[in-house]
Amino acid sequence: MTTPIRQCPVSHADFGTNTEIYGHYAMLDAEREADRFRFNDTTDRGFLMLQRYDDVVEGFQHHDVWTTEVRSAINPEPGVPLLPQDLNGEAHAKLRRVLNPFFSPAAVRRMEPMAHQRCVELIEELRPKGSCDFVAEFAIRYPTDLFLALLGLPVSDGEFFLPWSETVFAGFFGEDPAKVAAAKNNIMEYFDKAVRERRANPRDPKEDMVSRLIEARIDGEPISHEDILTICLTLMLAGLDTTRSALGYIYAHLAHNDADRQAIIDHPDLAPKAVEEFLRMYPLVFQAGREVQEATEFHGVDLRPGDVVWLGIAQANRDPRKFPEPDRFVLDRRGANQHIAFGAGPHRCLGMHLARLELAIVLREWHKRIPHYRIKEGTELVERGGQLTLTTLPLEWEV
Amino acid sequence: MRISIEPNRCMGHGRCYAVAADLLSDDEQGFVAECGQTLDVPEHLRDQAREAADACPESAISLLEATAADA
Repeated sequence: MTTPIRQCPVSHADFGTNTEIYGHYAMLDAEREADRFRFNDTTDRGFLMLQRYDDVVEGFQHHDVWTTEVRSAINPEPGVPLLPQDLNGEAHAKLRRVLNPFFSPAAVRRMEPMAHQRCVELIEELRPKGSCDFVAEFAIRYPTDLFLALLGLPVSDGEFFLPWSETVFAGFFGEDPAKVAAAKNNIMEYFDKAVRERRANPRDPKEDMVSRLIEARIDGEPISHEDILTICLTLMLAGLDTTRSALGYIYAHLAHNDADRQAIIDHPDLAPKAVEEFLRMYPLVFQAGREVQEATEFHGVDLRPGDVVWLGIAQANRDPRKFPEPDRFVLDRRGANQHIAFGAGPHRCLGMHLARLELAIVLREWHKRIPHYRIKEGTELVERGGQLTLTTLPLEWEV
Repeated sequence: MRISIEPNRCMGHGRCYAVAADLLSDDEQGFVAECGQTLDVPEHLRDQAREAADACPESAISLLEATAADA
């Protein structure tokens, strides 16, 4: 017997609003434990929530008929085109093959010296001050600088670049469309100039991503100028907010949990393992959306073309059926690598190896230089809805 | 013991060769280089093979325990 999705148990939970820190995880955990499937009616189109690990992974693997026509169940019509995300099937695979070599573990290892150097410079700049807003003064500057360097652009451009990317990003969660369009135009003009410069003075396409995008052929055709700009925009939007957010949650955790912090101080080589467990525990992109293209049935629920599906990334990562005691940070957790903080299926995060490297470097270098720190007394930690981030994280330490 | 990697399932998460570096390796695109193959697992790498299978979110890796028929 099957049930139409609107007759599932219904959820009215709104995941787009700000809460106190960890407020979203509490809501998501409660939804998952209440029912296997729920229909959420808080958006115009509504969505079927897949919430348990096995269902969510299976959902990602239905990529042939559940496509990224909808990328976010919460905001199914965001208006900003993204590449390669907007492609599916063979077209998506072909563009990913062009980009993959720049984000493979081997390519990422080549970036390590630069990431390490920039990380240490930023920490050394902050250390003598004895305090900082970790979110604004470190966690967003670090990935922004690395992104610009990855594209072969001046790191100092981060200063004017950052407010633009924040505005475009806010557009996914309801920011004024006119403001978003203006910021997007600024970014596109900036990339346009950079790409034209690279067309005039190509570099080694093995080392320089923009040169590679210019040179690449898909089915014998070059990638259009417009698409190259969209790819640059996409990489920026995908990489900056998420890394900043991950760092915020990791440092909020470590500031509060002395034993976990001490473990990293004592064993810096454990940083990559710690990163995996943090990613499992505190995923920032807590859901992905998909649009159903063919009438089908999913474990007893009837789906029709145009239905929106919520793939509950955070609910899967914190599913006690898969990860016992999901609220506990377990450095040596068995199977922690199976978390899906970066999604799954062919659209899984392109930059995940880079993200892992960036985070591990910060854990190692920061704790070498500033091993002990605390959250400024009286701070209320607020998390942004839609896609999680801490709005501020004031840290203090002895100088 | 043998390990086999289903090519249609591998999505390049890279966790398998991260945890089983003596057994598996990555290709230029970040996918596991041993995709589509079935390998014999040397005695001393059995734990790594188990960890690799445990690490794949796509369940692309399966382990085949040696049976009497293999002997």
